[in-house]
Amino acid sequence: MAEGFDIDHLAKLARLSLTAEEKALYSSQLNQILGHFQALADADLPATIDDARVVDEAALRSDEPGPVLGAEAVTRIAPASRDGQISVPRVVDDES
Amino acid sequence: MSNVPSDWEVVIGLEVHVQLHTRAKVFASSPWGFGKEPNEQVDPVVLGLPGTLPVVNREAVEKSILFGLVVGAEIPERCAWDRKNYFYPDNPKNYQLTQKDFPVVVGGQVEIELPGASRNVMGEHKFIRIHHAHLEEDVGKLSHAGSGSLVDYNRAGVPLLEIVTEPDLRSSAEAEAFLRSLVAMLTQAGVADCDMEKGQLRCDCNVSVRRRGAEKLGTRTETKNLNSISSVRDTVIYETARQIRELEAGRSITQETRGWNAELARGYVLRDKEDAHDYRYFPDPDIPTLKISRETVARLAKQVPENLYDRQRRYVEKLGLPYTAASVLVNDRALAEWFEAAVAAHPTNPSGIANLVANDLLRDLAASAGAAGAFDEAAPAPVSLASCPIKPAQLAGLVKLTDDGVISKQQAKEVFTEMFKTGQDAAAIVDAKGLRQNSDTGELEKIVKEVIADPAVAKSIAEYRAGNEKAINALKGPIMKRTQGKANPVLIDQLLRKFLA
Repeated sequence: MAEGFDIDHLAKLARLSLTAEEKALYSSQLNQILGHFQALADADLPATIDDARVVDEAALRSDEPGPVLGAEAVTRIAPASRDGQISVPRVVDDES
Repeated sequence: MSNVPSDWEVVIGLEVHVQLHTRAKVFASSPWGFGKEPNEQVDPVVLGLPGTLPVVNREAVEKSILFGLVVGAEIPERCAWDRKNYFYPDNPKNYQLTQKDFPVVVGGQVEIELPGASRNVMGEHKFIRIHHAHLEEDVGKLSHAGSGSLVDYNRAGVPLLEIVTEPDLRSSAEAEAFLRSLVAMLTQAGVADCDMEKGQLRCDCNVSVRRRGAEKLGTRTETKNLNSISSVRDTVIYETARQIRELEAGRSITQETRGWNAELARGYVLRDKEDAHDYRYFPDPDIPTLKISRETVARLAKQVPENLYDRQRRYVEKLGLPYTAASVLVNDRALAEWFEAAVAAHPTNPSGIANLVANDLLRDLAASAGAAGAFDEAAPAPVSLASCPIKPAQLAGLVKLTDDGVISKQQAKEVFTEMFKTGQDAAAIVDAKGLRQNSDTGELEKIVKEVIADPAVAKSIAEYRAGNEKAINALKGPIMKRTQGKANPVLIDQLLRKFLA
């Protein structure tokens, strides 16, 4: 089966640095996984939303503000913090 | 205005992210608001801590539906949420909850008005189609400091409606007009506040160019995170010029994601297609698909306010307002409703009321507030009518006194200033200041006769009798002078015509 992915690109997206052996191993495993999904995609199923997972508006929450953790508790569970904020290595790419 | 060479056409599509007007976050009960200390508006659901489950906020869903109804969109029977996966510290869960395949709003259109040739001329109107709008969560805020970055999750989980247009916009002016119109519709319906200074409205801007007449769209670039109308305008102008320059030099456009530096007025490359993210979207297993009842849609449809351009057409066509006054009034729903309340109290002169509201009242309100336009630098600041010392019926009373000839238009300005200062009725101020014009026919008749007999005006009388209508005005000045300006001008005119007939 032809590979439907570029292992180098995937490794880059996942921030992984792989050896040649690892690339070969993971490529073959990914191909197996994709093969399973292909089998699912080939199955004759109606293209609608799953009826078993539908709720009506009674399942919504009301717009009532509740309790918050507080900055002290939020920063305590982070590896590093400063001035009430979580401290991380410098990131530049803007995702939002 | 941009100067696009006539053989090129620019094609623009916008993705507008709007924070919805709610008290709690979209999938969590944590409150949110601008200007709080970092990480003080965060709860375990926002952080995606183990054992927590997101539950959708009803108000956020209803505000989204209301937006859809405002733009005449379809509200599908079902909508669903997906996970958009990515590694970045602005997102505590490593995925953002969004709607990929089943958004809450599908289709719709926004009417826009382009600038006219001058302030008092209405510009061209166009309809910009909406592709869809989906309800997602906002992400946290990063600030970069030295070798590290600091994360504040107060904004994470704030309800965000992403409104995606079709590529229907054709100039920076159209993009600007679209955003003004959209902001007016969102605020007038109470869907969102759209305060750009507080980051409540942010835009991604897709731009491509093609030779005029070409059917195929050019390669587009996407400039992300624009937080003011002027940034969107400047980005379109910049990207259009850059792409045309590249293509005319025989180079090609790279499909890429760009950023905008407003201080330098310059765009820059964030990442090209090779580095495009693979978000591995999949249906969120924690949030079931939501069925939206037709009863809810019908109930919300009743909350849709009159469209601002429908209102503008009604003011011009039915009430006979000049375009200048109508266009000012319709931009602010509260102001338009205030105006309509005054018209209801004195229905015979809507233009007289509109002129006082659009000029004098707005000027005095702005002066007393001293606020600057927050969401749009070029537009006048939204005024607060809550603290307006004059009530609609009182303004109607002032216009009625003028229309009845009790005071002159000049005096009305003076009375208005006093009303704004004291909140008193116009009639009370007119009486207190002795401004009431003299309508005593007997006394006025005597003065008119005396003036007519004055040889100094004989020439004007002769001219009037010879058919020069305007010559009669030369007689009014001396009469006004002798009555210290208190004579009713309508009555003077009547008496003059009677005696000179």
